[in-house]
Amino acid sequence: MFGTLYGAAARGILGVPLTLLSSVIVYSGALQFAMVALLGVGTAALPLLLTALVLNLRHVVLGAALRARFESGALGRAGLAFFLVDETFGFAIAAGNVVDPAAVGRTTERTLLVAGLTLYVAWLVGTLVGILGGGFTAVESAAGAIFPVLFIGLASLAATRRSHVVRALAAAVLTALVAWLLPGLRMLAPVVAGVLVALPGREP
Amino acid sequence: MSPLLLLTIALITYGSRAAAVVLLPRPGARFETMLSRIPAAIFAGLATATLIGEGGTLAGPPILGAAAGALVATPARSLLLCLLGGTLGYALGALLG
Repeated sequence: MFGTLYGAAARGILGVPLTLLSSVIVYSGALQFAMVALLGVGTAALPLLLTALVLNLRHVVLGAALRARFESGALGRAGLAFFLVDETFGFAIAAGNVVDPAAVGRTTERTLLVAGLTLYVAWLVGTLVGILGGGFTAVESAAGAIFPVLFIGLASLAATRRSHVVRALAAAVLTALVAWLLPGLRMLAPVVAGVLVALPGREP
Repeated sequence: MSPLLLLTIALITYGSRAAAVVLLPRPGARFETMLSRIPAAIFAGLATATLIGEGGTLAGPPILGAAAGALVATPARSLLLCLLGGTLGYALGALLG
């Protein structure tokens, strides 16, 4: 659905070849939507690159959390890294949380790969449908509800201790404060808040 | 937009994904404990960020209803139940909103 919205929105701004190419080589919904929105108002290259840097900063933190579970060599991890997006990270962490400790690495890597490939194909097909003129105007509002619901579900799966729940609530409050007080940093706030609330305290 | 600029953006994106996954050594136990606290917190933050618009405005009643419905289902720790709760909450929010 989001790929279709992206394809429909981007084809008039990027043209058909670059719209397709962007989904093939970037594979990042948030960044691609931001890119099209910025290009739509005539933004130059440098602000675009800075936006890409800022929006992608969270991947470093997500990657560090996954690295603790990965067992593959550098080449395997380099291949898996392409599929690291918010949703696949959530699925991979959640899958690793419910298996025997000895199977965490293998399960996490396999889940990241399967979820990543599935979402990648869906993103490409959606982009193509959007380019070809498909539209989801009627359900655009419903589409806006998918991400908060998905992220809440993933947070509940990732919270394996009571302290994780408390930290998650604290991160939500911190993010809300930043989003209201500094709206420009809205999409960076979750990562900063997530790291800040993870630092203090010791686990038994 | 030029293909070169698009390629640069793609490289930045992949580089950010690969930086920690490929280059970091496997972290020690203490750092791993700290990292294990991050996912739930980031997802809670992301959920919050998607409920607040670019100008700091709150999402509409259907989306808030969906989030509330998903929240109610969180003690079950099931993604499917959260999606069901979100769907019910969305319908309720659309009815009341």
